[in-house]
Amino acid sequence: MQLKRKPVGATLAAATCSLLGSLPAAPAAAQEAKDWNVDTSLLYYGEDNGRVEDVSLLASIRRAFDEDRTLAATLTIDSLTGATPNGAVPANVPQTFTGPSGGGSYTVAPGEQPLDTTFLDTRVALSASWQQALGNSTRWSVGFSGSDEYDYLHLGLDARLERDFNLRNTTAFIGVAYGQDEIKPVGGIPVGLAPMGGEVEDDGEDDDDGDDDGSERGRDADGSKDVADLLVGVTQILSRRSLLEVAYSYGQADGYLTDPYKILSVVDPVTGVPVAGSEDEVPYLYLYENRPDSRTKQSLFAEWRYAFDRDSFALNVRFMDDDWGVQSQTAEARYRWNINDRSYLEPHLRWYTQSAADFYRTVLFAEDAVPGFATADYRLADLDAYTIGAKYGLRTDRGEFSLRLEYYQQSPTESPGSAAGDLAGFDLTPDMKAVIVQFGYKFDF
Amino acid sequence: MASPCEVLCETDDLDFARSLAQYAASEARRIDEKFSRYKADSVVAKIHQSRGRSITVDEETARLLDYGEMLWRVSEGRFDLTSGILRHAWQFEEATHEPDPQRIPELMRYVGWQRLQWAKPVLTLPAGMEVDFGGIGKEYAVDRVADWAAGESRDPVLVNFGGDLRCAGAAPSSGAWHVGIESLARPGQPVKRIELTSGAIATSGDARRAIVIDGKRYGHILDARTGWPAPGAPRSATVAAPTCSQAGSFSTLAMLLGADAVPFLRAENLRFWLVN
Repeated sequence: MQLKRKPVGATLAAATCSLLGSLPAAPAAAQEAKDWNVDTSLLYYGEDNGRVEDVSLLASIRRAFDEDRTLAATLTIDSLTGATPNGAVPANVPQTFTGPSGGGSYTVAPGEQPLDTTFLDTRVALSASWQQALGNSTRWSVGFSGSDEYDYLHLGLDARLERDFNLRNTTAFIGVAYGQDEIKPVGGIPVGLAPMGGEVEDDGEDDDDGDDDGSERGRDADGSKDVADLLVGVTQILSRRSLLEVAYSYGQADGYLTDPYKILSVVDPVTGVPVAGSEDEVPYLYLYENRPDSRTKQSLFAEWRYAFDRDSFALNVRFMDDDWGVQSQTAEARYRWNINDRSYLEPHLRWYTQSAADFYRTVLFAEDAVPGFATADYRLADLDAYTIGAKYGLRTDRGEFSLRLEYYQQSPTESPGSAAGDLAGFDLTPDMKAVIVQFGYKFDF
Repeated sequence: MASPCEVLCETDDLDFARSLAQYAASEARRIDEKFSRYKADSVVAKIHQSRGRSITVDEETARLLDYGEMLWRVSEGRFDLTSGILRHAWQFEEATHEPDPQRIPELMRYVGWQRLQWAKPVLTLPAGMEVDFGGIGKEYAVDRVADWAAGESRDPVLVNFGGDLRCAGAAPSSGAWHVGIESLARPGQPVKRIELTSGAIATSGDARRAIVIDGKRYGHILDARTGWPAPGAPRSATVAAPTCSQAGSFSTLAMLLGADAVPFLRAENLRFWLVN
């Protein structure tokens, strides 16, 4: 039998040319769509001067069940090490700080920025979402997220609905998210604006089990916060090449929003010298920071994307405003240069500026009344930041490899009036520089 | 074409889109009517009315007869343009019982390319025999429209006549045409998704055109040598090839080879997807 003896492809090809009166057609290029997409990356983030380093491993997996239904899950493991500013200012004397449990004491040399060197953490985060079409022009999705650290637990739910209009040229979307976080700091929740170490009546006996929840010291063992977000937006196709997305979000956070590890220095308003504390183990006076127990944020985001013949460009801006007095503006641009079919280079620029929270102080002055709220957390200071970097991607038959290199610089702006006496000689709000290196690999199967 | 026909096109050239739609519709209708069994003035009707006399056929019909003869030869008689008459024994649409065992041998006397004489452009078909271009006509129509589109524009076009399809021009902006192979258990739900950037895909064997009697399934693609479906054939065979005619021929030959479908398609070095 001819079919089993030798291939008949050449005979068929020749007969088809006669049938159609045409030259042989190009070979078929057909392959089964891959249902699983896996995206993995290893990220290194390192701040200068021995501050925070983060090694983050991320793996996400997506399964398309058909055109209309998708399950996605992401696992992230972060390993954080290094030191982070505790909020106190430098001094011309050595400063000793003690963790809330009475342990974890560290001393900072004169003139040095006080960094909490006990900072060390591992965070595991998991999120999953399910997206499904509802008819031809509507899609919905629901998601879950959770993360766990030794002193922090987050659980969240989110949902999104989007609908196409106007021959699919317009897509409107609405999303809601709700999260509940439990904060369980070592030694319990400190009393806001109470002296560091001062509220502790140390009887010299350590907790045997090492799991000091602080409850015997009159502190709350833990705090919690609830965060609810609403997002509404629209994506409009402007032309065959360009697209505009505009989104508004409203967020409300309630509960314990203070950082339990952050403090403020109390200094003499004339000399700028730290005021003496009442405890032997903490020679100077520091107060735990205290923030309001609610925060309302609004933000407006717009992104414009443009496709050239070969390359593409995206530009976005974001304006954020909250009732703590923080206002921020972000502008970000990406250009994707498709070098050839297999590789691309994507330069990235981001600029960010924010105003300080109303209750931000670099220090507290000894003669002033203690305010209701205060923080010296640089993240709530007046600051400018920019990111510059690029990502290179290479597609191979085995998947896509990518390498991202970025440089980040953050420049807090000093608050006026904080240059009292000795303090004038110190940089109370030093710049922070960081590098980001990310290696990515994604593939389908 | 007895099935939904569509042409997808990604273009900003309105004239091209219009003329493509016109060409596709008129070409599908023309081929359908020309080779219809049911239209009194069709080429097929004229051949059937010849009752054993020699008739001269037009150039296009001759090319289709040549192609059919080639398939008969390479399949060693399994594929045969004269096997359409077996439909009198096999009613796949509403059948609930096996065909009458007497009826098939009776009809088989009218099946067999070796019984007719074909010397281009003259065909002599013995009285009572039929020719049926149903096995190759749809794929031929798809190729005609795709070839025309490729001659007119480089814009991406997909010609899809009842699931037999071929693309022309550049790949679409999404990278590929997404083609679903329908699930047998859940009609309308694709079980496999295929990304097509060049060439054609055709499927033979159809979930809805088969009969199941006492748990035994009979597909509608019949071996012209026996009048029965080939034992062990997959439920459907989807094959990718440069043209729709080739893809359709390969998928039909695979069905006719029954249990040997897989080694056959592998030896031909084709991409294929079977539903068993």
